[in-house]
Amino acid sequence: MCHQSVGLIARKVEEAGIPTVSMTSALDITRLVKPPRSVFLNFPLGHTTGRPFDREGQMQILKRSLEFLVEAQEGGDIKELLNVWSKDWELSVNL
Amino acid sequence: MSPISYIELARKGFPDQPPYQWSTFQDAPFTPMKKTLQESRISLISSCGFYQKDQSPFNPIKNDLTFREIPTNVDLSELRISHNFYDSTDAKRDMNCVFPIERFRELENEGFIGAFVSPAYSFMGRIFMRRELQDQMIPSFIKKFMESKVDALFLVPC
Repeated sequence: MCHQSVGLIARKVEEAGIPTVSMTSALDITRLVKPPRSVFLNFPLGHTTGRPFDREGQMQILKRSLEFLVEAQEGGDIKELLNVWSKDWELSVNL
Repeated sequence: MSPISYIELARKGFPDQPPYQWSTFQDAPFTPMKKTLQESRISLISSCGFYQKDQSPFNPIKNDLTFREIPTNVDLSELRISHNFYDSTDAKRDMNCVFPIERFRELENEGFIGAFVSPAYSFMGRIFMRRELQDQMIPSFIKKFMESKVDALFLVPC
């Protein structure tokens, strides 16, 4: 739900002439809402910009994401970061 | 591992209700950057639900269309959180997981971005009232960003 709200904000701000980049942990919602530029980090919710007390990791994630402001070519582009939370944390999420 | 399907997760959470109609678009607006990152004034907004202890808390359930302005030089010990719908255990220990204020200060100090625009913005993202979000809340954000001459916006959902 937060991902939808953030996507709607990003779209309107971009339409008003201000470039945006949106982080995402929920790739399926992002693909529907289509923020202008998205960066997918496959971490559990609550860790959109990194692990706690991992200054170096957080900085790397933010820098790669900010760079997408300049790198993206067209609206709806998604960059995927390759950072791994743990090998199979997704299995523990109850689907 | 493949990404989690949160849409499927939400559907299974409410088996008695018709599937939620997510906002869906075929394309997206695009405004190219006019400056380099090193020259750009960047603003930060997060749906994390953080507020300063002398500000009012958010409605932690849903549809809170207010936001809080957080000065970027805030004393981090003054921040509190009201948001019941993500696991904020780690965010409470280190807000930079969802509201990277300290990291953005450092990005400004080392010159990776031109400026970290103050204030940063926090809201409670669980908003089902999409019309009110788009007609009331978003225009007030845009006005703020225009006034503070923001060159680009960094958004963090939670």
